Amino acid sequence: MGLDVGKFMKNPEYEIKIITYRDIFQVEALERDRFGKDYEKLSAFIGMSKNDMAKMGLKSGDRVKVANNNGSIVVEVRESRRDEPGGVAFMVNSPWSNVLVSDDMGGKGIPEFKNITAKISLVKEEITSLESLMEYFRKLKQV
Amino acid sequence: MATCPGCALLCDDIDVIVENNRIKETRNACRRGAARMKGCFNRLAPSIAQKPVDIESAIRKAAEILKVAKSPMLFGFSNSTCEAQVKGIQLAKKLGAIIDDTSSFCQGLLIETIFQEKFRTCMLEDVRNKADVLVYWGSDAQDSEPRHLSRFSYFPRGESRQRGYEEDRIAVAIDVRESNTAKICKGHFYRIQPKGDREFILALTDALSGKVPAYEPKKILELAAILKKAEFGVIFAGIGLTYSIKEDMEILVALADKLSNFHIMPMVGHYNMRGFNENLFKETGFVNRVKFEGKAVQHSPAEVLDTPSRGVTLVHDDKYSIVEALRNESIDALLVAGSDPLSSLPRSLVRHLASIPVICIDPCVTMTSKITAVTIPCAVSGVESGGTAVRMDGKKIELSKIIESDYPTDEELLTRLMEAL
Repeated sequence: MGLDVGKFMKNPEYEIKIITYRDIFQVEALERDRFGKDYEKLSAFIGMSKNDMAKMGLKSGDRVKVANNNGSIVVEVRESRRDEPGGVAFMVNSPWSNVLVSDDMGGKGIPEFKNITAKISLVKEEITSLESLMEYFRKLKQV
Repeated sequence: MATCPGCALLCDDIDVIVENNRIKETRNACRRGAARMKGCFNRLAPSIAQKPVDIESAIRKAAEILKVAKSPMLFGFSNSTCEAQVKGIQLAKKLGAIIDDTSSFCQGLLIETIFQEKFRTCMLEDVRNKADVLVYWGSDAQDSEPRHLSRFSYFPRGESRQRGYEEDRIAVAIDVRESNTAKICKGHFYRIQPKGDREFILALTDALSGKVPAYEPKKILELAAILKKAEFGVIFAGIGLTYSIKEDMEILVALADKLSNFHIMPMVGHYNMRGFNENLFKETGFVNRVKFEGKAVQHSPAEVLDTPSRGVTLVHDDKYSIVEALRNESIDALLVAGSDPLSSLPRSLVRHLASIPVICIDPCVTMTSKITAVTIPCAVSGVESGGTAVRMDGKKIELSKIIESDYPTDEELLTRLMEAL
């Protein structure tokens, strides 16, 4: 039986800039049930241009780890429906994107919700659930 | 007709069909409004330490927590009626607490600039009747305030704009992404780089002053020509713009000075964020981030209040913003009304919430309510209770009570909480 070398190789990481935005369908799902599957599906993804995805060897539906010094999440990558020039990725404003936002406000008390830098890489892990985000806080409470 | 509490457009032309004391259907409401009015799936129940109790016990426990706290904070209120907001401000005074709302990390800076009369602004009815050039800047109204274009700005026939969008109006979008609003502004979409608003404003100010702009001169000169021709122009400033120029709002003031026929309107998501800003501004001269210092001896005109014997002064400081208070771990108890900081704030900031008692007043279960010391359910304002709210342009709008409910209003809860103190 041959050794599966790929198993031990780390997928390449790429630096990306993320802009957050609002989506009416996600807001509707939030109003109905913020713990529901619809809200999760409409929040836990990152949109990228076709070109950027090709450069990074990603295809729609792949799971990616998006991480920086503030935290790390696994979300689905989707090709943007719009004709984006590339260089910037997009996430709907949500508890998922908020994992990546810095606590450095530059003194103005306004976090950089729309100016996130992170590293993205292909993974096989499960998409981060809202329950696992809640678990993070529950653990903090127990400390 | 009912009023929708979905966003700060407060659409007052909603038809509702009620069956068995539940809203079965809404007509005219957008997706967001219809979902808000039909109600959430998980209603909040009263609890202490996540164990069920009756509301009265929850209120008593909340009062105990606030009474012993040395540095309590009240936060939220953008989804509360004006009446509840006023009670919240009174409660903050009584406690000598910090009070802040979601505008603190949203449109507060811009609204404060408007209250200081640094910009011309206007009413949404003026937009419908007179506006010919509409600039959506860092704002995707189609997704955040979905009926903005259809009720007030681009599509309606107004008194002086009988030919509507086909001939009488030009809509422009300036954004980092081709939003759904930008798609409607076809031909007049100006894509900017992330954090590129400042450069764009400076270039546009140059073009309006007759200079050749350093940045994308052809496009900027073309836009300047459109703006100059406007008879009644409006810049709808979204949080994309506010976040990008938060360190230097004055450059927007300078641009507005060059555009004598233009008005600036903040695009507001939460249905009564502007109401909170107005109520606190009326009382203190600030729109958010205020601390009432109960033990202070000095008096000032701002100390009016209903506790004159106590001697209350106020302090406004950026350190009293919810984000700085959490980051600096400077508060030891937090009451949250109608907001979900665990969901809406950066995770790096909310660690402190795990180490202090939090009281949550909300109609629905939220991420925050799941970890709080006390939960107190309230009625959904604008659906289960009436009241007043302030639209994004400053107009006061009455909210309707559509269905009966046993849940107390947030105003009533805050009153009972003050009594329990």
